[in-house]
Amino acid sequence: MNTNDTALNLEVKPTVDNSRRDFFRTTMAGAFGAAAVMGIVPKGISTNAYAAGSDAPEITEVKIGFIPLTDCAPIVVAAEMGFDKKYGIKITPSKEASWAAIRDKTVNGELHAAHVLYGLVYGVQLGIGGQQKDMAVLMTLNHNGQGITLANQLKDKGVKDGHSLKRLLDNENRDYTFAQTFPTGTHAMWLNYWLAANGINPIKDVKTIVVPPPQMVANMRIGNMDGYCVGEPWNARAIYDKVGYTVATSQDIWVDHPEKVLGTTAEFVAKNPNTSRAMIMAILDACRYIEATENRAKVAKLISGKAYVNAPEEVIAGRFVGDYDNGIGKKWKDPNFMKFFEDGKVNFPYLSDGMWFLTQHKRWGLLKSDPDYLAVAKKINQVQLYTEAATQLGISVPKDVMRSSKLMDGVVWDGKNPAAYAASFKIKA
Amino acid sequence: MLKVMIVDNDLERTKPLKQSLLDTGYDVIAHLKDTVNLDDACCELQPDIVIIDTDSPSRDTLENICVMTMNDPRPIMMFTHDGDKEQIKLATQAGVCAYVVGSIPNERLQPVIDAAIARFEEFKNLRVALNEANTKLSERKLVERAKGLIMKQRKIDEDEAYNLLRSMAMQKHMRIGALSKQIIEAAELLL
Repeated sequence: MNTNDTALNLEVKPTVDNSRRDFFRTTMAGAFGAAAVMGIVPKGISTNAYAAGSDAPEITEVKIGFIPLTDCAPIVVAAEMGFDKKYGIKITPSKEASWAAIRDKTVNGELHAAHVLYGLVYGVQLGIGGQQKDMAVLMTLNHNGQGITLANQLKDKGVKDGHSLKRLLDNENRDYTFAQTFPTGTHAMWLNYWLAANGINPIKDVKTIVVPPPQMVANMRIGNMDGYCVGEPWNARAIYDKVGYTVATSQDIWVDHPEKVLGTTAEFVAKNPNTSRAMIMAILDACRYIEATENRAKVAKLISGKAYVNAPEEVIAGRFVGDYDNGIGKKWKDPNFMKFFEDGKVNFPYLSDGMWFLTQHKRWGLLKSDPDYLAVAKKINQVQLYTEAATQLGISVPKDVMRSSKLMDGVVWDGKNPAAYAASFKIKA
Repeated sequence: MLKVMIVDNDLERTKPLKQSLLDTGYDVIAHLKDTVNLDDACCELQPDIVIIDTDSPSRDTLENICVMTMNDPRPIMMFTHDGDKEQIKLATQAGVCAYVVGSIPNERLQPVIDAAIARFEEFKNLRVALNEANTKLSERKLVERAKGLIMKQRKIDEDEAYNLLRSMAMQKHMRIGALSKQIIEAAELLL
């Protein structure tokens, strides 16, 4: 039973006939549902609900989808190490074969929530390439830890960075193919941004295809593409398997960029605000655990299993703690490795993070006209719900819903003037 | 004759489906594993309809092709081997053209494919209508902003600003929305 019903039943007198009662239930529940979607909880009601102890999760068993990637760790840890039970829910991680499957199953309710690409959630909200559905981002799961890999043949041609790749492309008359993971997703945007910042138009100058993350390395081995952008461990794996090398990390493109989120539908949040909050709390707690350096080796071992990432532990473990090796002679300790918590700074669903993906969707022609950037982000990112969850855990919440970052090309993104920002890039679709 | 492409890791499993399609009069132009060359195959063979396993990792590859060819999308039909009816119904409502469970008898294949294509067309028309509505809405916003800029710059009232905008658009043979966009962009650079 959800909170709305509980609160209302108290007000409905037993003498009221059923049709009237139904009228109240549906209209009022609808109004409250809409308020919840907008992230507004009527003050009196939420306090009463807490006092009455009815902040109990509406549903206690949740199925959360994930794709085999290092950054699925928060979901796995929350479920495997019992963080879920602390908040009265049971999380069942569900391994999925494609982002399209994650999307469809989240939209139709077969999955209650998912580890999902930030941009994908926004793409569904705007109906890019499929049916429109109102979506919700409950929290950000991680920053950093993705990368761009080039095939070893390019090393032999002297490509060691973006500039030398540009030179090669200018001088060679053949089609170069690059792979990413989903048309509206994060890797498509990192790859495009990186190519464009190096003077390469990702739409006109190269061919772009999509390959599922776990199949990237195998595809590169048989010469199907010259480069790809994907999450770890699949860049480290290319080096381990001696088929490719890392030309850039995603943190080279944008330090502390938003990456995966805990996504669901607006409908799920409206119907199950307490379960949604409990999921945020459990996963936030898991993120805090993963962040601690002393726990990372244990987590790497846990997620390396066949049921999860299914990759050798040693391939995951190095970059998971910031030990980078680009495969062509450079080794370094990266301070901006994959972050899951940083006192909650990683997890806060900044509106400017969501809006950035829309500006890139517009830039690359996935959106034909400018959406109302801020309104869309306000609708999707559940700032209110996240704030409630974080506050209960004693985790600080930033005051500003926007943050400012300087990307690799020196351009600053701070959430202001999104339409002008989207239109400002010289290289675009 | 409609050209059909079947994608499944287990070719043996989809053999009966292929045979049914052939018997029903479809041209099965390809029967591929989850592969690597799906992208090229789609470009070269130009299937009218693609039938793929719901749990195939290659679905994202198809997704990309659909988005990239937004002006020329094609229906995708899914099949699953273990789905229950309720889930299939939900998936269909979520926009997937059609789901086929396990093997279906020949006589039912044609109606299922017809229904998939009909749904797809319906969906495509909806999208076109939605895009048009969005364009109109965003144009109206652009006109409002451009009008505001003109009013401020020239210190004239709203009606005058609109008339000016309209006559400029007519002179330049442009849509008023497109002209407004140019004015706003210019203002962002200059002001």
